[in-house]
Amino acid sequence: MFESVEEVQQRFGDARYIASRRIATVVFLAARMGRPVLVEGPAGVGKTELAKTLSEVTGRRLIRLQCYEGLDEGKALYEWKYAKQLLYTQLLRERIGELIADAPSLPDAVAKIAGQEDAFFSFRFLSPRPLLSAILAEEPVVLLVDEIDKAEPEFEAFLLEVLSDFQVSVPELGTVRAKHIPLVVLTSNNARELSDGLKRRCLHLFIDFPVPADELAIIRLKVPEIPEKLAAAVVSAVQKIRALDLRKLPSVSESLDWARSLVILNARELSPELVESTLTMLVKHEKDLERVKGALDKVLAE
Amino acid sequence: MDERILEFIGDLRRAEVRISPSEALDALAAASEVGLVDRETFKTTLAATLIKEFRDQPTFDRLFDLYFLDLEALGQGLQKALGPADPRVQDMLDRMLAEEGMELDELTELLMRGGGSEMEMAIRASGQNAGLERLMYFLQVGFFSRRLSDRFDWSAVEADLERLLKLLEARGLDPGQLARVRNYLELRLEAFKRMIRQHVERELERRAYRQGEKLTREVLSEKPLFALTADEIAQMKAVVARLARKIKDALALRQRQEQRGRIDTRRTTRKSLQYGGVPMEIFLKRRHREKPKLVTVCDVSDSVRNASRFMLQLVWSLQECFSRVRSYVFVSEIAEVTQAFSTYPVERAIEWALKGAPVDYHCRSDFGYAFSRFSKTELDSLDRKTTILVLGDARNNYNDPQAWALRLIRERVKGIIWLNPEGQWGWGIGDSVMPLYAPACDFVRECRTIAQLGEVVDNLVHHWWRRGR
Repeated sequence: MFESVEEVQQRFGDARYIASRRIATVVFLAARMGRPVLVEGPAGVGKTELAKTLSEVTGRRLIRLQCYEGLDEGKALYEWKYAKQLLYTQLLRERIGELIADAPSLPDAVAKIAGQEDAFFSFRFLSPRPLLSAILAEEPVVLLVDEIDKAEPEFEAFLLEVLSDFQVSVPELGTVRAKHIPLVVLTSNNARELSDGLKRRCLHLFIDFPVPADELAIIRLKVPEIPEKLAAAVVSAVQKIRALDLRKLPSVSESLDWARSLVILNARELSPELVESTLTMLVKHEKDLERVKGALDKVLAE
Repeated sequence: MDERILEFIGDLRRAEVRISPSEALDALAAASEVGLVDRETFKTTLAATLIKEFRDQPTFDRLFDLYFLDLEALGQGLQKALGPADPRVQDMLDRMLAEEGMELDELTELLMRGGGSEMEMAIRASGQNAGLERLMYFLQVGFFSRRLSDRFDWSAVEADLERLLKLLEARGLDPGQLARVRNYLELRLEAFKRMIRQHVERELERRAYRQGEKLTREVLSEKPLFALTADEIAQMKAVVARLARKIKDALALRQRQEQRGRIDTRRTTRKSLQYGGVPMEIFLKRRHREKPKLVTVCDVSDSVRNASRFMLQLVWSLQECFSRVRSYVFVSEIAEVTQAFSTYPVERAIEWALKGAPVDYHCRSDFGYAFSRFSKTELDSLDRKTTILVLGDARNNYNDPQAWALRLIRERVKGIIWLNPEGQWGWGIGDSVMPLYAPACDFVRECRTIAQLGEVVDNLVHHWWRRGR
């Protein structure tokens, strides 16, 4: 899939994702070793984007499983379409009647119906959810398990099982084994500690806020119409705001939003008034806003 | 290389980074995938496979630097040590050796041609069973360097060099040239010996690091809190943070294990529609447990300030476990410091509470006065869900203990827990009035060290608030 770390970096760059050497190395390893990658880091640094870009770069379909509290195996793996099964049974009542009409005794009738079980417990009545679709997929896919920290530990344990052998047993149908090992990316915002087992299974990647040079590259790439000087000023301001003692630090996606709004406002450079009026794009907490406003001259200093 | 990585993993483990065998295997496999292209990639590779907790990253970084030398830097260092390279001399030697078909000792070969990494490898190999594990003090460096260097067969090298120079002389090299060659070889020999010493020094550093890590965790958590130096206090913060995390993790796990409760009719009925009205799957209402309220009352006079500091840190790091935490500090006047914790990060708030709160830090502690003030002003804000955590040595400087105030407070709350940073043998002796306060408390514990503090708080979080739910 990838021949070298440089190639990963190159191809991600072509797909408009600035991958640091670190990120590229881990992606390369994951592809080579067939291991899931666990991506941790603050919100909005491009964790989910990484998986999307990976699917784009490799030309594989992206299957996404968004985790939330209360997510259980059924919703993640598969569900039987009971209503459909019920409906079919109703519609086919006569045929079933015919089938067992000549059965001499009750046990015989049961045996005859049991012989037809396959008709009702087949893939026709199974609705595959993300995990099963990833396993059933005919072509290799990228599986994104987003915000795994939001799901409960039991689900994590179950996921670990799936990720270690990429096979699932559906009691009525038997065991289904993946044709291709999917590339798996898990993301976590660190809302809670993940289990050791899962961490052990995965390659670990911590994505932090990008260094100034990378952030500049990202802004230039995603907001190409931004004047060069303004982009540099935005990066320097954002980096300085991140150094402040805030409740929630501005993420990359927020600095992109800010850059976009500055472009819409036709700004050429950052003036204190302009920053003050657009600051809400960047800083979302009341108290943080006050703090940044208080330190505005420091933020805007060259 | 594999051996080196395994050794590195061993040291990470000793520094309390948990690494499973499968992760170790992953690291080896991954390292062979990327190969030794450059140091940064190699480092990322090991980090991705071995380090799964962000808090272990600094340990990893430090150990990595001790283990995997910056070969580029080393190369430059070696170059410097060798002086300007002398390709002409090297050339001449090479040519001559080829012509004469002279057999050289391995070591001489290494000295004459080997690069930095090869020399390093040879030194490491010779150090394998030189008893380096007994290396503990800086004074031993000389001894072990000699010991390591004695393992090389220097006599063979000398003989080789002697032969070499003789040969050159015989070929009619002029004395100036000859001196230059001799000088060159000696320089290389010198550099090699220096590398041996550096190797031993690094080994010492690694060992010291290992010991240091262990000491911080073990000795520090057993050391009486009042005896900590400023340095140790700084280190202790990390220990307390780790402790808080442990308690929290265990708690999170347990809270989720509770799956009993009444049937959630709404969800069960909703789900049953799928099955034609048969309640195939039962849903239970999760019980919402009331989180307890906590009020901490800390003595911040000199004698117990450290204990208060760590208790505040522990309690506030655990604040998710409580619905509300309020903190008071006193020496004799009592003041609420909760506000500081909602404005500043925990550590800064603590510093402020210990130094900047509106109480007189220089008077003598007066528990009686503090409790009577507290009972006058704060009684209304207490209720049966509140637990009061008092931290103090109960040394009242012969003031009126006013134990009635504490009893009054007890009537309003779920319980009072007293942590005393003084050893139990001292309670009731001299100006200690612990025995007068103890009857009003639900339990009283000695709490002289971080280990004890952790035990008590763990016990509280897991048992005290479970009772009579």
